[in-house]
Amino acid sequence: MRSTPHSSLETWAAKAARPWTREALADLRAAAGAFRLGFTGAFAAWPALVGRVAFYCVCLMVLGAFWGKVGASRLPGTLAARLPPGGLGPYVGVTEWIVISVVTVQLRFEDEVRSGALEARLLRPRSWGLLLIAEAAGGTAARMLAIAPAALALLVMSGLWPGPQAVVRAALLALGGAVLTLLLYALVGLSAFWVRRVLPAMLITQKLMFLLGGLFAPISLYRGWLHALAFASPFAAQLGFPGQAILSMSWGGFARALAAQGAWVSVLAVIVALACRAGVAKTLREGAS
Amino acid sequence: MKPAVTVQDLRKTYRQPRRRTGAFGGLRGLFQPDYTELPAIAGVSFDIRAGERVAIIGPNGAGKSTTLKMLSGVLEPTGGAAQVLGFTPWRERRALAYRIGVVFGQRSQLWPELPARDSFALLRRIYDQPADAFARRLGELAERFGVAGLLDQPPGRMSLGQRMRCEIVASLLHGPALLFLDEPTIGLDVTAKAAIRDFIREQSAREGQTVVLTSHDARDIELVCERVIVINAGRIVLDEATEGLRRRFLARKLVTVRSVAPALDVEMAGVTRRPSEPHTTVLEVDTARARVEAVVAAALAHGGIDDVSVEDPPMEEVVHEIYAALEP
Repeated sequence: MRSTPHSSLETWAAKAARPWTREALADLRAAAGAFRLGFTGAFAAWPALVGRVAFYCVCLMVLGAFWGKVGASRLPGTLAARLPPGGLGPYVGVTEWIVISVVTVQLRFEDEVRSGALEARLLRPRSWGLLLIAEAAGGTAARMLAIAPAALALLVMSGLWPGPQAVVRAALLALGGAVLTLLLYALVGLSAFWVRRVLPAMLITQKLMFLLGGLFAPISLYRGWLHALAFASPFAAQLGFPGQAILSMSWGGFARALAAQGAWVSVLAVIVALACRAGVAKTLREGAS
Repeated sequence: MKPAVTVQDLRKTYRQPRRRTGAFGGLRGLFQPDYTELPAIAGVSFDIRAGERVAIIGPNGAGKSTTLKMLSGVLEPTGGAAQVLGFTPWRERRALAYRIGVVFGQRSQLWPELPARDSFALLRRIYDQPADAFARRLGELAERFGVAGLLDQPPGRMSLGQRMRCEIVASLLHGPALLFLDEPTIGLDVTAKAAIRDFIREQSAREGQTVVLTSHDARDIELVCERVIVINAGRIVLDEATEGLRRRFLARKLVTVRSVAPALDVEMAGVTRRPSEPHTTVLEVDTARARVEAVVAAALAHGGIDDVSVEDPPMEEVVHEIYAALEP
């Protein structure tokens, strides 16, 4: 059947009669398509993917060796005395797996907002922000999948294999951590609607990930108010909990970490949705550039 | 028959934040913002019939893109009213999106590194099209626009003409009743431009699509559209059939001759020499009084010619003439 304006009208009339749940399902189907596109796109650019895996391995060897030396010194009264005997190689392996895998979606948001390309996306019947995040999630999943064998191989070769249960717990929490990272990056990217350049916001976020998330060292090593602050922040759920899971974590602790991630994902998703809505409304009112 | 587009006294004024000077100017601006008002559209009204092909033209900053954005729903007006296919675009943007196709000549909706087929597949999901109907439509359009052999190539590796044909296919996949084209031939070579114009005209004739096009290229207007709306400084200064416009304002050609001699002397009725650089002679030909071939032949007869080109006068010039003609 040839599609004509008349048949388009009928299609639209059918769509208009749909309940909102079916529209939401259509949104999810489009998001799944964008996810698939991001996933395929990451593998299509395989040289970049190989480079990323190599970068992960180098980072891990350097940081693993560093924490191995610190841990081996066992100096009483210092941080070294509180480190696990094998150092923090596996911990950093998990946190770096998340950070190196997540697509820098904030740059896509910034580029589309600043260049005005956003206007072309708003001409589609689906949420621009949702599709952009879904595509980035697809790319992130592909990267995580590509890095995972290298991470496992390094873990086995280091002689610090924590057992399959710890690996499964860490992997599941790392997935949650990646979703949180993606949402944080999206929030940073959406700031482009108001501040144009996202670099300052990104630098602040990175520092918070480093300090409160425990990118290179577990937040369990912190004391007093810093520990409380880090533990209550989304950054702990983003990096600290997945990293901790590979060192030592009970199933109860795992469930609590998972619940914390779920709560933070919900909160951030709502904030991202509201920021996206406000930014798009601003663009519709003031124009894209 | 109900018009596809109805516009009544549509207005848009942009507000731009004014930058303050001084060390704390930026900070003060944050708490006490100060704005400059820039009127872009100062009240335009027109109707477009279903199936009509209309060009909206004007010099840079005239307000044509602003008009197109408001009609496609991505910009809210400051005042006035518009109905596009029965929808108020800025209030029913998503609903309208199912029924319009848009091509921005300078912005791609395809993913540059992935095969065009993958981008089309995502567009199917975005527009919620059934898989079999979509596959049939893609097959038809790919054949018609000559991109069937390009579907497995990433747009990043296509020529600009090939990419633009894919962009147009992408905008038509969901069967829109109205097509907005913003500079669809920008940057293309002569052959690719001609192909795109043919495709758009034939597509519109075949499926009865309404086409609203903006362009700086006079040939796009002449060859695709049957009506021209000229906007200048946010107002409509002319709204008439292309044929009438062509007779009145596009009956001139510019013949540019690059020669060994510093200048050529071509004396013919209906030919005026324009100021130009040494070794370049620009001749304005009134096609009602002189034939372009005769002017080119006269120039070539001088010998020592490096290059000859024949062009329409720039659209800015045409608009300027139209504007000047309308002044009392």
